[in-house]
Amino acid sequence: MSDKILLEAKHIDKRFGITHAVNHVSLTINAGEIRALIGENGSGKSTFCQMLCGIYTIGGGTFTLDGQEMHVKNQVEANKLGVSIIVQEMGTLSGLTVAENIFLGHEDPFMHYGINDTRAMIKEGQRLLDEYGFSKIRAGAMIDSYNFEDRKLVEIVKATYMKPKILIVDETTTALSQKGRLELYKIINEIRADGRSVIFISHDLGEILLHCDTITILRDGEYIDTVNANDVKEDDLKRLMVGREIGSAYYRTDYGKEISPEVVISIKDVTVPGQIQDISFELHRGEILGFGGLSECGMHEVGKAVFGASLDRKGSVKLSDGTEINDIPSAIKHSIAYASKDRDNESIILNESIRNNIVLPSLDDLAEKHILKSRKLNKFAKTHAEKMQTKMQGIHQFISDLSGGNKQKVVLARWLGKGSDILVLDSPTRGIDVKVKQAIYALMQELTAQGKSIIMISEEIPELLGMSDRILIMKDGKINGEFMRSESLSEEDLIAKMV
Amino acid sequence: MQNFKNSRFYGYMILAVMVIFFYGLFKILTPSNFGSLTNLYSYFQSSIIYSVGGCGLYFIVVMGLFDFAVGSNIVLSSIVGVILSEKFGYIGFVVGCVGCATLVGVIIGLLYNQLNVPSMIVTVGIMLVLESVAVFAAGGVKQTLAPEMRFFSGAPGNIILALLAFILMWFILNYTRIGTYCNAIGSNEFTAKNMGIDVKKYKLIGFALLHFFVGIMAILTVSYGTTMTALTGMSTMSRNFQPLMGTFFGVAFRKYGTPITAIVVGEFIIAIIFNGFVALGAPTTIQNVVTGAALLLIVTLTARGGRGSVVK
Repeated sequence: MSDKILLEAKHIDKRFGITHAVNHVSLTINAGEIRALIGENGSGKSTFCQMLCGIYTIGGGTFTLDGQEMHVKNQVEANKLGVSIIVQEMGTLSGLTVAENIFLGHEDPFMHYGINDTRAMIKEGQRLLDEYGFSKIRAGAMIDSYNFEDRKLVEIVKATYMKPKILIVDETTTALSQKGRLELYKIINEIRADGRSVIFISHDLGEILLHCDTITILRDGEYIDTVNANDVKEDDLKRLMVGREIGSAYYRTDYGKEISPEVVISIKDVTVPGQIQDISFELHRGEILGFGGLSECGMHEVGKAVFGASLDRKGSVKLSDGTEINDIPSAIKHSIAYASKDRDNESIILNESIRNNIVLPSLDDLAEKHILKSRKLNKFAKTHAEKMQTKMQGIHQFISDLSGGNKQKVVLARWLGKGSDILVLDSPTRGIDVKVKQAIYALMQELTAQGKSIIMISEEIPELLGMSDRILIMKDGKINGEFMRSESLSEEDLIAKMV
Repeated sequence: MQNFKNSRFYGYMILAVMVIFFYGLFKILTPSNFGSLTNLYSYFQSSIIYSVGGCGLYFIVVMGLFDFAVGSNIVLSSIVGVILSEKFGYIGFVVGCVGCATLVGVIIGLLYNQLNVPSMIVTVGIMLVLESVAVFAAGGVKQTLAPEMRFFSGAPGNIILALLAFILMWFILNYTRIGTYCNAIGSNEFTAKNMGIDVKKYKLIGFALLHFFVGIMAILTVSYGTTMTALTGMSTMSRNFQPLMGTFFGVAFRKYGTPITAIVVGEFIIAIIFNGFVALGAPTTIQNVVTGAALLLIVTLTARGGRGSVVK
């Protein structure tokens, strides 16, 4: 890392209505530096970066890149000045070829008198894909024929082929397999070696300490501190992010708790073609049953199968009174709740208010002679949103304005309001900061103390070890191991059954 | 196998199978009245008129827009073309049809961008206006294309003109920014904006291109029928749907990279079904029911989302 300042942000500011998303943040990044940007959900890190790369207009302040003040209106202008971004969600466009996606907005080198040399574009796209080691992706093929991870690899090529001075990686690694992550780390290291810089956003503090040189912490839109990665530990970062100690209360500390013999739901010989095979287990009253495994092991489908959301499901899902659960309406009617891993697409209605997201499954209960009274709905939503300490301007705010963690709080508020007794939580803390994580873990304990039962599906082994009374590990669509909660249980024990 | 199922060849194969299936079906049902080479040639000539309109509609349908003013613009542009042909010959005819239609497209695009209301609402309003303007332009009388102006009424004139339109469409989709940007806007308008694409400009271009093709369709339509009567009371609405059927084929086969072939072959299939019922002596109402059902069946088989997918 050199002493030369590559990027200088001076008093960067942004408001969304009354929310002060970024509050006069100033920082500098040197050439050849990998800078992590961390903070709770809603701390302003993504907004800061999206202003830098032209997705949002700058509310106030200036960015100076390599001595030149930036005034960009969109991503393409930012790209031209040397800033590019790999976004958290899907960043490629359907209906276009891989090559068209790579060069979208940058077609000029292939245009001659307004005519696009498609063949040259595909050839160049393929050359880049081969160079990055992604030869299995064909530049001339429609992007729609590739899965989410391959499309992320295309995004990596798109964001880096022009050798940006600053590359922003916004929570991308969670979408990649281990192999994809290694490719991304390799590219990041090449950028560093080349005297260029990376802004790296992630909630995985271990990953940050391993790959970044320096770490800037934001909290509630304000700059808190910048530290050297070598000088801090994960707990220091958590304290800086939250503003207080996050220590022993993070996970459960109790061991040896007796699991109630009362079975609340039995899953027997459940098969979903191509996903899971002959899955059988029982969930007990007041139990947290963890499901773990590699991401394609079928554990996410188990959650859907229990909730009646699987297609072509065989086998039975039965409540203790013998009621069969075969579809979503009967699951909800019989007090089963489900929070999907794909929060934005499957758990919430993005273009609706917080209130309407919370009251949705409870409308029948709230109606008086089939009439819904606004005051009653408002009170219901407000009570449960506040109980979950949702950071919001009010219940009529659109849920799309909230951070990932607060969206998850709304999902949980919905099911708390419904009074569900069995909660299926798929990746409940995915993309969520430590403070909200802690709140969700505390809530889970509170719920089980009330006699409610939880199926927690998680890709994070410490979470499984820290929160579950019992853990089922899946491999290739089948249950491959069962572990009871124990202090002696280690990550290695679980991994041995996953791979 | 997955690669083959996404390939251009697979798309062509499905289209060929559909043509053979529907041709075979009616040939078996009514062997003497249907399906001679001369008949097929005639079906093809009538279908290419709609294929040209279908090509134009493709530009806006992929962007998630819709246009109800296509039919009324065909009528108005045909009338303007016929009137101008009387004074300026073929130049007046072609420029009158294409120029008038394109101008209407530009106006629709500008209004859509300025008013910021859904395209359906804007185009319904424009449709009513155009119907009245057409009555005014025609002076309340049926407009007849002079016999010496009928080069495009049959082969080879109509086929040459339609082929030129298809080549233009292929060129725009594959060799200009417009095709890529229209697809990008349809896929995710917000992301497209962030890629520096001037969304409003390309929507305006989309409407202008649609109605440019509508102008060519107007030339073919009035040449084929030789007369055009201005109608009011939303009577032109039915003219919107036949080209739109071809567009549905085009959008459904976009994943195979064969939208233009799909539009042309799709309209040909609709013509086979329609003429098949004529050959069977089925009443018009039954023909419409079965043509609509066939369209639903075909699009369901080719463009249906997977189980559990959200379709709007």
